[in-house]
Amino acid sequence: MSETYDFLFKFLVIGSAGTGKSCLLHQFIENKFKQDSNHTIGVEFGSRVVNVGGKTVKLQIWDTAGQERFRSVTRSYYRGAAGALLVYDITSRETYNALTNWLTDARTLASPNIVIILCGNKKDLDADREVTFLEASRFAQENELMFLETSALTGENVEEGFLKCARTILNKIDSGELDPERMGSGIQYGDASLRQLRQPRGTTTQNKQQCNC
Amino acid sequence: MMERAMEQLNVQLNRLTRSLRRARTVELPEDNETAVYTLMPMVMADQHRSVSELLLNSKFDVNYAFGRVKRSLLHIAANCGSVECLVLLLKRGANPNYQDISGCTPLHLAARNGQKKCMGKLLEYNADVNICNNEGLTAIHWLAVNGRTELLHDLVQHVSNVDVEDAMGQTALHVACQNGHKTTVLCLLDSGADINRPNVSGATPLYFACSHGQRDTAQILLSRGAKYLADKNGITPLDLCVQGGYGETCEILIQHHSRLFQTLIQMTQNDEIKENMLRQVLEHVSQQSDSHYQRILTSLAEVATTNGHKLLSLSSSYEAQMKSLLRIVRIFCHVFRLGPSTPNNGNDMGYNGNKTPRSQVFKPLELLWHSLDEWLVLISTELDRNRKNPSSSSSSSEIASLLLKQREVDHSGSTPKLPSLLDPQIVMETEVYADGEDVISMTANRLSAVIQAFYMCCSCQMPQGMTSPRFIEFVCNHDNVLKCFVTRNPKIIFNHFHFLLECPELMSRFMHIIKGQPFKDRCEWFYEHLLAGQPDSDMVHRPVNENDILLIHRDSIFRSSCEMVSKSTNEKLKQGIAVRFHGEEGMGQGVVREWFDILSNEIINPDYALFTQSADGTTFQPNSNSSVNPDHLNYFRFAGQILGLALYHRQLVNIYFTRSFYKHILGIPVNYQDVSSIDPEYAKNLQWILDNDISDLGLELTFSVETDVFGAMEEVPLKPGGTSILVTQGNKAEYVQLVTELRMTRAIQPQINAFLQGFHTFIPPSLIQLFDEYELELLLSGMPEIDVQDWCRNTEYTSGYDPQEPVIQWFWEVVKSLTQEERVLLLQFVTGSSRVPHGGFAYLMGGSGLQKFTVAAVPYTSNLLPTSSTCINMLKLPEYPSQEILRDRLLVALHCGSYGYTMA
Repeated sequence: MSETYDFLFKFLVIGSAGTGKSCLLHQFIENKFKQDSNHTIGVEFGSRVVNVGGKTVKLQIWDTAGQERFRSVTRSYYRGAAGALLVYDITSRETYNALTNWLTDARTLASPNIVIILCGNKKDLDADREVTFLEASRFAQENELMFLETSALTGENVEEGFLKCARTILNKIDSGELDPERMGSGIQYGDASLRQLRQPRGTTTQNKQQCNC
Repeated sequence: MMERAMEQLNVQLNRLTRSLRRARTVELPEDNETAVYTLMPMVMADQHRSVSELLLNSKFDVNYAFGRVKRSLLHIAANCGSVECLVLLLKRGANPNYQDISGCTPLHLAARNGQKKCMGKLLEYNADVNICNNEGLTAIHWLAVNGRTELLHDLVQHVSNVDVEDAMGQTALHVACQNGHKTTVLCLLDSGADINRPNVSGATPLYFACSHGQRDTAQILLSRGAKYLADKNGITPLDLCVQGGYGETCEILIQHHSRLFQTLIQMTQNDEIKENMLRQVLEHVSQQSDSHYQRILTSLAEVATTNGHKLLSLSSSYEAQMKSLLRIVRIFCHVFRLGPSTPNNGNDMGYNGNKTPRSQVFKPLELLWHSLDEWLVLISTELDRNRKNPSSSSSSSEIASLLLKQREVDHSGSTPKLPSLLDPQIVMETEVYADGEDVISMTANRLSAVIQAFYMCCSCQMPQGMTSPRFIEFVCNHDNVLKCFVTRNPKIIFNHFHFLLECPELMSRFMHIIKGQPFKDRCEWFYEHLLAGQPDSDMVHRPVNENDILLIHRDSIFRSSCEMVSKSTNEKLKQGIAVRFHGEEGMGQGVVREWFDILSNEIINPDYALFTQSADGTTFQPNSNSSVNPDHLNYFRFAGQILGLALYHRQLVNIYFTRSFYKHILGIPVNYQDVSSIDPEYAKNLQWILDNDISDLGLELTFSVETDVFGAMEEVPLKPGGTSILVTQGNKAEYVQLVTELRMTRAIQPQINAFLQGFHTFIPPSLIQLFDEYELELLLSGMPEIDVQDWCRNTEYTSGYDPQEPVIQWFWEVVKSLTQEERVLLLQFVTGSSRVPHGGFAYLMGGSGLQKFTVAAVPYTSNLLPTSSTCINMLKLPEYPSQEILRDRLLVALHCGSYGYTMA
């Protein structure tokens, strides 16, 4: 039997090479740190069903290679994404400086409604920090991005990053800003939205969100 | 005393007359068992007067149960609808609730058989409508099963619980839904039946309606608010509809629950669902309206795109994703081809004309094709980089990670969650590979599968048999990468590059790679493609339609076969051949084989003058003078059909053609060596011209030949103005080629054309070109048996070899160890023919008379291959230092050198 969910969101994970994109995805899906991570070839794929605001959402996540040689291949995945995690490494100014380019790519290639969250990864390596929280959050504000500092090693804020992004998309659906039926929205209905109808209202609200953001 | 006796006599007399008049007994026997069998037929025929008469004054127990199932006469009456008898029995005190051995009451039987009047009377006599039989069925179950709505209407008022369950928890509503009795369902619902009642396995009325594709019933249930519930195993009504291929019912489900549309689309990813059923359902739904059509296709395109992208993720399972992608695309193309229900814009098939809504459905797939393009560009860049800097090991670590990922994927099925242990052995291995090369080998299969999907999508927008310009352009753009893929892994051609077989313009680019593949693989590919689209003729043994049998007269086999084959249709002949000889019983594969065998012998029968023998008498080719037979071209067409048909059905024929004629079938140009099969002396002369400088010989040849046309010599130019062009040392090669074509091709061109016309009705030219002339002979006529001992006995040795020489000993040991196919290759390699002459190797013919197989010594230098001179049947075997090297070199020569001669 296939898993049931109310919505399916397509997510992207983008950012320079070596910022820990695949590790973030691995941590989110497997709940552990990926020890022997290597450069991604092309685009990898993972998915997980999460509970957001009483709705079950399947996140279909495309983890892109950060290396320049794969850039044109990864770009071809941007269209049709509902959300994106834009990742830099707080211990590498170079990856932070590249954010503008990544952002331009995402804004021009993906749907204009794409919800992007900026993730400063490797939070655990605070001693080697080259990018301050403040300047990154200012950058996020200027570019209308949500912002979190994460650690794929400890798992800190990893789940939050994905969930925050998903919640924003759900809100946009509720407010009518996003139309899931539109082609290329990166959103699909699951057949659980049917089941919802026949279940008494109370049962789904029981497992309230554990996340506090 | 007298009076009593008289009275008795009267009674007896009375009885006698009555009995005689009615032709039956008028008195019931004493015992119940005998009596009941007397009464039963009368009850069945509802002869109530007789029954009444017999029962009068008798002591018969009306509730007497009899027979295997222990029924009373009341059961019989109810069952047969003998209403008068029924009433009579009831009046005489028959129990209306009496249950037979299976627990059925007379009411059950009346209900089951729809005996309305009986049912009414039984109810009048207080029959209990709520009694269950042993299976838990009540009278309303019986009425519901058979859809007796009118009766149900009467009965249901008396029922205390309309949802009464049988042993399986099934209510009358369940069984009515399963059988699709609309009015019965309505009646039950109106009487308060529970519309969502689950049975023991959780199946609801809607579930039952869907499981049997009861469209109208499902419609009623849904419009009355039936819930969409899965059973206890999680099987939903939609699953059932798809399993059964019930498109109309699916459509109704989707009308009421629009979200099910996506679920239906997602099902295309599930490989447990039968593809043809799902396709049938999607086909139906797509035909409901233009918007349905658009929506189905757009959604399928989206699912296909996601699948394609997953396939391009190197950690996904190649097998599963590849199959899934191709299945979805197959369904997509099928539905697309059907067109929308109102074909108002059906003519615009152009891929580039994205203006019409119809081609809009391809839009989501553009994402995938875009990725595909980018991947191929990336690979091309990697290839260039490798070429410039072959030792670069930039991606070694990536490869290590990939191999690990792949291992995890491979193992995840069997072992529970393999921790990513770093096996030092693997890392060692991967360090060795280590560059962009491996990116290529890891993606080649995946990208090729996407290319296959791309081709399917491109061609479903084109008229049948045409290749989309977009796809041709695509292949041209990525030519180097695609060639690199197939050179590294030729299996890709057979697995994914089916498009080659449909596009001759693309095939030529890959032909040399394909020709280099093992014969067996090409054979499989050939038949796979040839039979694609045909119903599984081998799987199902269809009963033969009497009209489709080819009835052949043995004494006029050629004519009657020709007649029968032309009467049949190509499609029927492709599906299967059934042959019966006139006046004989036999049918089946054996007869078919015999027919092909005898008929092929007849085709070369000199009496028809269709084919002539080659110089050595073993092979045949069209007779340039066949026109003595005025119908000859029709016969050539027929011969072509028979050969094509034989190849189609893998039947061997008993004809061997000349090398040049096989080339004609394949569309390969002939060369001067082929002349030797019809005129060995002349072939030698051509050879001589080529081998020697002709400048100063004063031959005074022009580009023309003299031919004898019915006794008159005529000068035929080889090319326009040829009579005045002198043959010189510079243009002699052209002269030889032209004169060869004249002798070998132009002289029999009409015959060849007619033959090919027939042959191509069964075998498309694009497919047959997978083979060379030697392989075509094998395909058509099969493998000749080769007797190695006979071969060895009839072999001569020259230039220093003798039978005792170790190299010769090794040679024969190697020959003995070869497969039958390899021996044939060896024979072909040395003699140019795959056949042993009649009578054995002693009769082997050379260019001029008998010429035994000869092995000649050649001084050995490293890597030197054996060579041959076919006109003198000579194998030039280097003096190899060991048997291993001999074997190795010989096999290389056989597998690479059996076609494309260069003169040794």
